[in-house]
Amino acid sequence: MKRRIEIGLLYSRNSSYSLISEACRSGALAAMAEVNADPGLDICFAAVERDPGGNADMYGPLCEDILRESSARHVVGCVTSWSRKEVIPSLEKLGGTLWYALPYEGFEASDHVVYTHACPNQHLLPLLDWALPAHGRRAYLTGSNYIWGWEMNRLARATIAAAGGEVLGERYLPIGAVDVGRIIAEIRATKPDFVLNSLVGASSYEFLRAYHALGLTDAHFRADRCPVLSCNLTECEFPPLGEAAEGLISAGPYFRGVAGWPGAGSFGSAHEAASYAAVRELARLLAHRPGAENLPLAQLLAGAGGPVDPGTHHTSLPVIIAQVRGGAFRVIQQRGVVAGDPFLSRGLRGSAQPLRVVS
Amino acid sequence: MKRQVRIQNLGGARATILHRPHPTVQALTRQLVAIGLVVDQVWPELGPEALAADFIFFDADMGYDGQFPWAAAAAPMPMIALIGSEAPGRIEWSLQIGAHAQLLKPIGDNGTYSALLIARDGFDRQRALGAEIADLRRRLEERQTVVRAVAMLAAMGKTEAEAYAQLRQMAMAWRISFEDAALRVVARFATEGGDDQRSRG
Repeated sequence: MKRRIEIGLLYSRNSSYSLISEACRSGALAAMAEVNADPGLDICFAAVERDPGGNADMYGPLCEDILRESSARHVVGCVTSWSRKEVIPSLEKLGGTLWYALPYEGFEASDHVVYTHACPNQHLLPLLDWALPAHGRRAYLTGSNYIWGWEMNRLARATIAAAGGEVLGERYLPIGAVDVGRIIAEIRATKPDFVLNSLVGASSYEFLRAYHALGLTDAHFRADRCPVLSCNLTECEFPPLGEAAEGLISAGPYFRGVAGWPGAGSFGSAHEAASYAAVRELARLLAHRPGAENLPLAQLLAGAGGPVDPGTHHTSLPVIIAQVRGGAFRVIQQRGVVAGDPFLSRGLRGSAQPLRVVS
Repeated sequence: MKRQVRIQNLGGARATILHRPHPTVQALTRQLVAIGLVVDQVWPELGPEALAADFIFFDADMGYDGQFPWAAAAAPMPMIALIGSEAPGRIEWSLQIGAHAQLLKPIGDNGTYSALLIARDGFDRQRALGAEIADLRRRLEERQTVVRAVAMLAAMGKTEAEAYAQLRQMAMAWRISFEDAALRVVARFATEGGDDQRSRG
């Protein structure tokens, strides 16, 4: 007899970033189906789903709705950092936990969030560490006009400056905006060595298509001379890009076909993989522990082992840099498994410093 | 000038929490450890090892002057007040003792990272301003020396403007401040040119 445990799902299926939402949602649902079908586990998950429709202001109320109207204490969801920050007060108020399965900009370690995708020491810093010697130190930065874009570019600017490089331009677009002409014109005028793209969803697709078109008229702007790098591009966004995806370089914990984490490599994208991993880890923490579903996160994680660091709630993940060649990501560099270091207190390569707690 | 907050060197920094054992200390410690700091807790007084701390968090509710091994507002590191009761007297005391930032109790899930950065920035700026003020004060005190040096140079047959320009050039050539150049000139006249001294009565 399985214990029925309700799990919140909070994804915007109709938004400018709905492809990402769908990838996450399908990863979470696949993991739930596996758990439910597994006779070796004494639990079964039931999804309690809410759809904020891409409206950042709806995430808080709908998260609260899940926590009040159902028995769910764990919510898998949120795509943008903006929405994640919107739900944290609701989680604090009602004692819930968010499992967040997207790459993000770091500098957060909420008591109520588990971060199952990469933070900058697992994406941006290794990506720049690879790109600066490989392509040059003159960069153009672009991003969506909210904390993800701002913080990624701030960190990139600091890292590039420390390496003796130069940021030639930096421009933002509101989420969903597609007027990329100025960005393209500035890149054309400054001829950087690479472009760091932290745009999200529709803005990113429009930019990448326009940049691809630019490369067709001027060879400087092709992937071999001036590639576009990003930390949030996965296979789930290939359909709107088509040919324009060719040559793009991305850093992440998983690319299609890479076995190891979190399984045999059959996931469609890292977003799908990270949501799947989140639900599987939750199942591992809850199985054979009746009542564990109501424990505060700190008690749930205490002594449980596993990939989630009980101090920061971040995850140890593979760090892989890959480039789109012939319609699929090909691995350029595998940098091993790296522990999430949200406040960058351990340095890029350095192993974790021993933290002595005296109380 | 755009001010950049130093962010990447909190790893391994030491924070001392001056607070009696309490859930406040646990919640604060959790945040500090997640950020990468090494934490210890003491009560009721900061010992000699407090001098090695990079940050001090102190209880504003039960705190008193004698807890600190330095004069009020003279802490050698950033200080953050842990404020429960927002009574004006307690806030006044926190400011007197030298808080650079504050956290409100109960300490929850966040706030510590920004308190660390704001406190450190305030501490750095206070220290830079203090050094600048001390330098300006010293230069102000050397005004008389400058007047004497210009008069001595002028006594060698220059106009006052020429003597002033010469002193400026000496300072540049020696790569020292105007006031230090004046001190050097006055000292040289004092040892070499007794006549000059005498002639000026």
